[in-house]
Amino acid sequence: MSDSPPDPSLSSLPIEQLVACHECDLLMRKPMLRDGESAECPRCGYELFSHRHHVVRRSLALVLTALLLYIPANFLPIMQLNLLGQTSQDTVWSGVIGLYESGMQGIAVVVFLSSMAVPLLKLLCQLLVLLSIRMDFGRSYGLLLYRVYHDMREWGMLEVYLMGILVAMVKLMDLADLSLGLGLFCFIALLLVQVWLEVTMSPHQIWEALSGEDVHAGD
Amino acid sequence: MRAIEAGLLVCHECHQLNPADVDAKHQYCSRCGGQIHARRPNSLIRTWALLLTSAILYIPANLLPIMTVNSLGKGSPATIMGGVLELIHFGMLPIAAVVFIASILVPTFKLVGIALLLYSVQRHQPMSARQRILMYRFIEWIGRWSMLDIFVIAILVAVVNFGSLASIEAGAGAAAFASVVILTMLAALTFDPRLIWDNTETDHD
Repeated sequence: MSDSPPDPSLSSLPIEQLVACHECDLLMRKPMLRDGESAECPRCGYELFSHRHHVVRRSLALVLTALLLYIPANFLPIMQLNLLGQTSQDTVWSGVIGLYESGMQGIAVVVFLSSMAVPLLKLLCQLLVLLSIRMDFGRSYGLLLYRVYHDMREWGMLEVYLMGILVAMVKLMDLADLSLGLGLFCFIALLLVQVWLEVTMSPHQIWEALSGEDVHAGD
Repeated sequence: MRAIEAGLLVCHECHQLNPADVDAKHQYCSRCGGQIHARRPNSLIRTWALLLTSAILYIPANLLPIMTVNSLGKGSPATIMGGVLELIHFGMLPIAAVVFIASILVPTFKLVGIALLLYSVQRHQPMSARQRILMYRFIEWIGRWSMLDIFVIAILVAVVNFGSLASIEAGAGAAAFASVVILTMLAALTFDPRLIWDNTETDHD
């Protein structure tokens, strides 16, 4: 981490040797990082970048795992409810449909986007970006897709949905006979893989790989 | 030294440095092609607008029922606070606390917090830059958790579906509440954190 004192010659350095904090605009000399290290802004503490081993290979494995889990997580029953001999079950998808049919189209769309569409599109963007780096193909689309991914990042809310499942279960426990479904475990697995992927895929390395600054990134 | 003083612009998307082009009306990042600004245009005004809209919607969100529980032909509407009280009544204190924090404390804190950030950036007081940036990060991070109640409703509507025996419907309050959450998230995104540091004189700069 470079904790450099005020440097009047900073603006005369070539742009490649400089870095500015995204959150507070502090200009610094670019620190050189080895694998496993990370750099933070000395003024506001924002993580500037981190450097990890085999980013592309590890991220690809995680993206593929997450995509395999996506369908069972969203379409297998999360829970089953038994009330006086009648059974009903809940999946992420049936929650969206239920809201839509009860006349709450607006909320149905919000729930659909934040719990199903955005997480899937994020994973697809990540997959295509990684493939484009790995196969050295269509880098300009890769850059565009990675920008799209960054714009969507805030709006995928799997972890909040999981907390919602928990709260709903507590509310229902007293009313009826409740049993857990396979979908719940797939959903938790999907969430864990997705968080792991977000930690592994360090944006700074991906941007450099996409723009061709790091020639060994695809290895 | 700030990047803006050295004539450099940071890309919002990929954080690449670009030399500022004084003549250009719109400038695009040399690496990722995203549009770049020294500071987000009209950040304070836009954030105020989003904040005021969500403050207005905050009222129906709390007063109107977010869902109606129909049981044996009788419907009982429940507001956000009603849901929390019901959980307390059943003795589910930890879950009641989570719902209370996510649905009542966090939205209120966000409305007050963003207003305070905007005010202190415009008036150069009353908090230090470090306090403001911590508050900004906290608001940005916690915003999404308020969607909790919306997801709970989605699950309940789907699973409690036994015809006339028992069913749950979403209410108008839920739509207002979802709007408050989304608008305050947008307000946090529109606010440019670099403004926090622009009008502070720090000795370690």
